[in-house]
Amino acid sequence: MSTISIIWIILFALAALLFFCTAVVITAIGTRDLKDLLKKPGSKNTQDS
Amino acid sequence: MNFHLLDWIILFLYLGITVFIGLWARRYVENMEGYFVAGRRVKVALGSATLIATEIGVVTFMYFGELGYVTGFSCFVLGIIGALGYFVIGKTGFVVSGLRRLNIITIPEFYELRYGKRVRLLGGILLFLGGVLNMGVFLRMDGIFLTETIGLGPEVLAIVMTVMLVVVISYTVFGGMFSVVITDFIQFVVLSFGMLVATGFILMHVDLAAIASAVASEFGEAGVDPVANPRFGWAFLLWMMIGSIAISVLNQPAVSKSFASESPEVGRKVFLFTGFTLAGRYMIPMFWGIAALAMFGPALKPATAMPRLLGTVVPSGFLGLMIAGMLAASMSTYSAYLLAWSSVATRDIIAPMSRKELSDKTTIRLSRIISACIGVFILVFGLFYELPATAFQFIAITGAMYAAGAFGCVAFGLYWKKANRIGAYCSLGFGAFSPLAFLILDQVRSSLPEGMLWLVDVNISGFLSFVLASAGMVLGSLLTQKSHPPKRLESGAGEGSAR
Repeated sequence: MSTISIIWIILFALAALLFFCTAVVITAIGTRDLKDLLKKPGSKNTQDS
Repeated sequence: MNFHLLDWIILFLYLGITVFIGLWARRYVENMEGYFVAGRRVKVALGSATLIATEIGVVTFMYFGELGYVTGFSCFVLGIIGALGYFVIGKTGFVVSGLRRLNIITIPEFYELRYGKRVRLLGGILLFLGGVLNMGVFLRMDGIFLTETIGLGPEVLAIVMTVMLVVVISYTVFGGMFSVVITDFIQFVVLSFGMLVATGFILMHVDLAAIASAVASEFGEAGVDPVANPRFGWAFLLWMMIGSIAISVLNQPAVSKSFASESPEVGRKVFLFTGFTLAGRYMIPMFWGIAALAMFGPALKPATAMPRLLGTVVPSGFLGLMIAGMLAASMSTYSAYLLAWSSVATRDIIAPMSRKELSDKTTIRLSRIISACIGVFILVFGLFYELPATAFQFIAITGAMYAAGAFGCVAFGLYWKKANRIGAYCSLGFGAFSPLAFLILDQVRSSLPEGMLWLVDVNISGFLSFVLASAGMVLGSLLTQKSHPPKRLESGAGEGSAR
């Protein structure tokens, strides 16, 4: 395996790791954000549809 | 067939839950701002999840997988360029914070604030045309993906894709951005898990040494050096460096997630968080494509290699989950795109031409009708249009058709006081010229004289669009400063601010 191939594979591994770690963090905090978004004054829409 | 009963149960269960939640979210739509930008109450993590889900679809997996299969490790450079672009935007708030501060809903609204109503109309038409054309390829790639992974015939899949489109349209048109945000979040979680599972199974079947060896034997130096790769080269890399920033900040479906954020600061952070994942979500499907090269060799049709690999190595049960994740990704992309392009058509094309002001109710109703029409268009276009380049390059060139001119208008409009209406017209027109020339001339490529062949080089055409758009803005503005003095921007001046 050439050096440049190893460098690309390491870069890929780092990028994939960062993706999955960030996904875990976003999922955890995003669940709370979603609850906040769905807590709202007023209830069912009456204007449209 | 690779799909078994368990896979079908998982898939239909997932689709059913998504539609139910999407339709349930309509209760949160109270007015136009609620429909188009979820009441501007989206926070950082949720905004990031929905932005990522929008930017990932089966089509992105397909074109990145295809690129990996035909270019080897060289294409990884796109992940690095894209991530750097997002970091620049995320750290500086370049363009996105300025636009969010104006409380606008669509990018052409900015044109009206800065340049006048007619520029908004022209910009809206170009944005809509480029955006819908850009979306036209999605369904075809989805069809190929499902054909190869599930193992069904293409004639059945046309029906499956139509059903999927109808499902997405149904919840998008009723629930607007609330539906999009909620379903995007679920789709993001399912998709991330699906990507992890798929990568794990691929690594169990294809080892890294075999992958590196396949790249070396098939491509040689071009497999590891993007400059030496004949599909890329400097023109492509320069185009991507500018284009990755321009398309990121001006792609209406993506930037509307920033507009939906609760403040300009949150809008900026959404891009920063999203940037952390960008290199990974580009490189993972590229890697799958390279692994397909190692497993099957170079003889397959490039677009079919990666999905065939997934259908081969991922076992039943997990395959259903993974396909559900992929379809989830597609549905979130479709829903965001449908909402974005229908909002542009309604607010920036129909409303400016209408003699009386459209009510919120009429605007939302028109937007729903247009969403349905776009759905029909992409179904027909996807089935019959033959791509002139790789899917990635087709999407990038149709993206450049509107992003180049929009970038000239918005970036210069925000940061250069001398930008005026004539400069905006020149930027929009010049920016659209070379991508349009490419798409038209490519149909008669064989009859072109040798001296004009550079016009049908997709990389030169894409790069040129940004150069011409910027030059048009600068020259057009400088030459007409006296006859057309520039308009000033006022913070919070957008139509959304009044609602």
